[in-house]
Amino acid sequence: MDYDVIIVGGGHAGVEAALAAVRMGRKAAIVTMDRHKLALMSCNPAIGGIAKSHVVKEVDALGGLMGLAADATGIQFRRLNLSRGAAVWSTRVQADRSHYARFISEYVADIIGVDVIESLAGAILTENGKVAGVRTEDGVTITGKTVIICSGTFLGGLIHIGTKQIKAGRRGEKAAYRLSESLKELGFEVGRLKTGTPPRIDGDSIDFSKCEIQPGHEPIPFFSHRSDRQPFEQTPCYLTYTTDQTKEIVSANQHLSAIFSGQIKSIGPRYCPSIEDKFHRFADKDRHQIFLEPEGNGTNEVYPNGFATSLPEDVQYDAIRTVTGLENVRITQPGYAIEYDYCPAFQVKPSLETRRVRGLFFAGQINGTSGYEEAAGQGLMAGINAVLYIEKEDPFVLDRSQAYIGVMIDDLTTRSTTEPYRLFTSRAEYRLAMREDNARDRLNRFAQKYGLVPEDEYQAFEKLQIQTEEAVRHFKEVRVKVSDLDHRGDRFKKVDSISLEKLLKQPGLTINEALPLIARFNGDIDFTREALERAVISIQYRGYVAKQEREIAKFLKMESEVIPDDFNFASLAGLKQEAKDKFIHFRPGSLGQAGRIEGVTPGDISVLSIHLLRHKRTSK
Amino acid sequence: MAGHGEEMSPFVMRYGHFVDSRQAVIDEVTAVFMPEKRSYTGLAQAEIFCHGGRQVVTLILQEVLASGARAAEPGEFTRLAFMSGRIDLARAEAVAEIVAANTEHSYSAARDHLLGTYTQHISDIRGKLIGLIAEIEASVDFPEEDISPDEKNTLLESAQQLTAEIDRLMETYRGGKIVNEGYKIAIAGRPNAGKSSLFNQLLKQERALVTPTPGTTRDYLSEWIDLEGFAVNIIDTAGLRKAGGTIEKAGQTSAKKIIADCDLVIWMIDLTQRKWREQLYGDIKMLGHNNIISAQNKIDLVDDVADLKAGSGLPEMVATSCLTGRGIKGLKKVIVQRINEKMPDLTSGVMVTSARHRQKLAAARKALKSARQKIKLDESPELTAFDLRQAASALDEITGKVYNEDILKEIFSRFCIGK
Repeated sequence: MDYDVIIVGGGHAGVEAALAAVRMGRKAAIVTMDRHKLALMSCNPAIGGIAKSHVVKEVDALGGLMGLAADATGIQFRRLNLSRGAAVWSTRVQADRSHYARFISEYVADIIGVDVIESLAGAILTENGKVAGVRTEDGVTITGKTVIICSGTFLGGLIHIGTKQIKAGRRGEKAAYRLSESLKELGFEVGRLKTGTPPRIDGDSIDFSKCEIQPGHEPIPFFSHRSDRQPFEQTPCYLTYTTDQTKEIVSANQHLSAIFSGQIKSIGPRYCPSIEDKFHRFADKDRHQIFLEPEGNGTNEVYPNGFATSLPEDVQYDAIRTVTGLENVRITQPGYAIEYDYCPAFQVKPSLETRRVRGLFFAGQINGTSGYEEAAGQGLMAGINAVLYIEKEDPFVLDRSQAYIGVMIDDLTTRSTTEPYRLFTSRAEYRLAMREDNARDRLNRFAQKYGLVPEDEYQAFEKLQIQTEEAVRHFKEVRVKVSDLDHRGDRFKKVDSISLEKLLKQPGLTINEALPLIARFNGDIDFTREALERAVISIQYRGYVAKQEREIAKFLKMESEVIPDDFNFASLAGLKQEAKDKFIHFRPGSLGQAGRIEGVTPGDISVLSIHLLRHKRTSK
Repeated sequence: MAGHGEEMSPFVMRYGHFVDSRQAVIDEVTAVFMPEKRSYTGLAQAEIFCHGGRQVVTLILQEVLASGARAAEPGEFTRLAFMSGRIDLARAEAVAEIVAANTEHSYSAARDHLLGTYTQHISDIRGKLIGLIAEIEASVDFPEEDISPDEKNTLLESAQQLTAEIDRLMETYRGGKIVNEGYKIAIAGRPNAGKSSLFNQLLKQERALVTPTPGTTRDYLSEWIDLEGFAVNIIDTAGLRKAGGTIEKAGQTSAKKIIADCDLVIWMIDLTQRKWREQLYGDIKMLGHNNIISAQNKIDLVDDVADLKAGSGLPEMVATSCLTGRGIKGLKKVIVQRINEKMPDLTSGVMVTSARHRQKLAAARKALKSARQKIKLDESPELTAFDLRQAASALDEITGKVYNEDILKEIFSRFCIGK
């Protein structure tokens, strides 16, 4: 067996990596334990959410599967932050967990060019500093030009429930311990991270009448432009709260939690604390909200989001039954904390290829991230870059002004990991210019360049772009009588009429207010809703985007100050040892990147830039 | 250069004339040539020494620039020295420090102390700003969390407080400028009123020309003195007057510029002149300066000391005798008073001394103003955050840099996140 790209792990990263490689005409293999569990959601059954949805849109724009799969298997769709500006709108889909995995497993099975090998990878094979393939734990050798490790929580996975410890990558599934050893033998620094998940509960035992209903949004905000799903009846989620008793029980038993007993030493994410951690760290807060997310339409299982825990099972029972509406609830599977191995991401280049072994790539949790979307984004990039590596082409690297994927990979490669990394919109400096609605505007040319999307899709998109422009022009032409307006006309009392564009540009005008206004004043024009939305957004953000573009120009200037691969940081005179150590550790590829390394001061950058200048002069 | 045409030996000082492109002599000068690798910068270098008059220096510089030279940027010689490998960075930094210490005079130590608290103060403001950003970002990044970021009014209040703090800091700039660049005093007056004598009295030592003769190559005298801890630059404008003319005529020349540029003007009055009272109104009006002290000089030579007041609408009067030294102490006291009026409360230890910092503070202030406007109009929070981040990055350019991580850290410490 000889492959172009061998992917170890069939999760969200692995699937996107394999599909990208195949789209670029390469033969890929996914080594995973169960071909029916591809892209199985280990934690909550939702795709998207704040900032993550941007990644889904970006993956979609680059030909990835995640958005389409979420659309096909979603049971509820919402658009978060809809009352805010479009830059921070985030689509979130509650997906049917088993349907999602089935959809992707079947999709992959139908693709010619991807083999799914049911096995557990045990060793990475190398030859002369280059990767050569993998050997499975049962001794089968699979040879390949490149290998992408997408091991998720399986790498050295250890589940904690109270004092109980189980070696597993997911509940009831074997963890990959030998692979971890293999990485260490190759010289990789391996660290440990922690995450957790709540118990799953039986929906039939929930008193939903005590909970607050959360319906989906209409019209259904599908992720993918490729999606052809028709409107359907959405399944609601519910919101409830912990009570004083919950606080009492959890606090009284805190010492039994694996996190507090000292059994777990690695760090978990601040944004996803366990229930015991919440009561501990925010002691003045009496109750916490719990979202009840259905696991699917064909199951009664419910995911109580916000109740992650590593308390012993009996305490979990006692505690969750104090939550409003859950008084008689049955736990179908206990919550747990899981520790797993990762390789701090200073060991990968921005292409996600490892610095140590050529042709070996890391994607997803192995790089210290958490989240399906973060994993998918990296998997896609690693898949593309594995092919470019084979073809001896320059790697495909997105920068911080182009995509959330770029922000993420740049953060990973310039910062130390202190917790599992996830994206937030506040991480993106150029947030106003990187929106869900313009993901394809930002990335289409790359999709085209690397052949990730069929030709007819570009044409369709170009049509949409033209429509958007026409809509913008049209808004300028349409006159609106100020006397026809309600309070929205207050600002324009001095004139008889204004352009529709001006009306739409008013601060604080949401899209839900804008669309009826458009319909009222020019209902005769038949632009698609998408084109209208895009036009409104472009009008509202134009000024800001122009400002951000000036910032981006400055940013790109620093990015273009390339630091050669062989640049000797150790020999730099006049540089603080601390700064030197950081540069040697992270090996920044540009002055801009060097400046983003934490703890590096502007002074250090000045010194570095002088040395770089000198280096350029002497090497000329 | 006259005597041109011959090869100059390195490191030998040569005497000659500096001539312009039309061969007209500008000044008598000496010059020296330093070959490549043996100069300070490591590049071939020439140095020309001319007389100290402003006009001469300007003319020579103009000529040099017209011939294709470029003015060095601050610190450029040292940077060139470093880049050519002549000096290492530690030395380059030492040079920079020496240069800085020179301009700061005896106040460098005090200023260092001030700067420590100053940086801390800016960091404090930045910390509060990050807090405000965190409130806004929390509502954007965690819309479904059961957290309650500050309400509109609280946000507005915080932004208002930050603006006020930046305002207070910016107001210290006038004082900071005095500490950093010194306080400039012009000594002006009619001929023989005793300008140079006062200049010398203030210097407390014989320096340069005691009685400058009209027509020397020097335009004016300028020295620095330490006046109760302030760096004071005193300028004797004596040489500016045209022979036999009045200050009105001289006003057309650089005297007016020097006076306008000074923080304070000491107008010398010759009490032995009978008409001094009559002249004073016109003279003061002509000066057109808003900070003037009149020194009624030669008090030792007049008998009648009872009636020295010239009338209302005139500057503060101090009777002096530059010959005997009488009244000089009193004059100094008045000067220090005037300086102190411009100084902020130094006990806080916080003062903006650099024009660049002031500019950054102004930028931060402007961005904050725009953010406040957005909060008021209920604009979308990511737009407010955009303004506030611009404010933060302006402050960063003074002290350090903002990491997105700082904002997230603040969010996680304030709010219980994790649905």
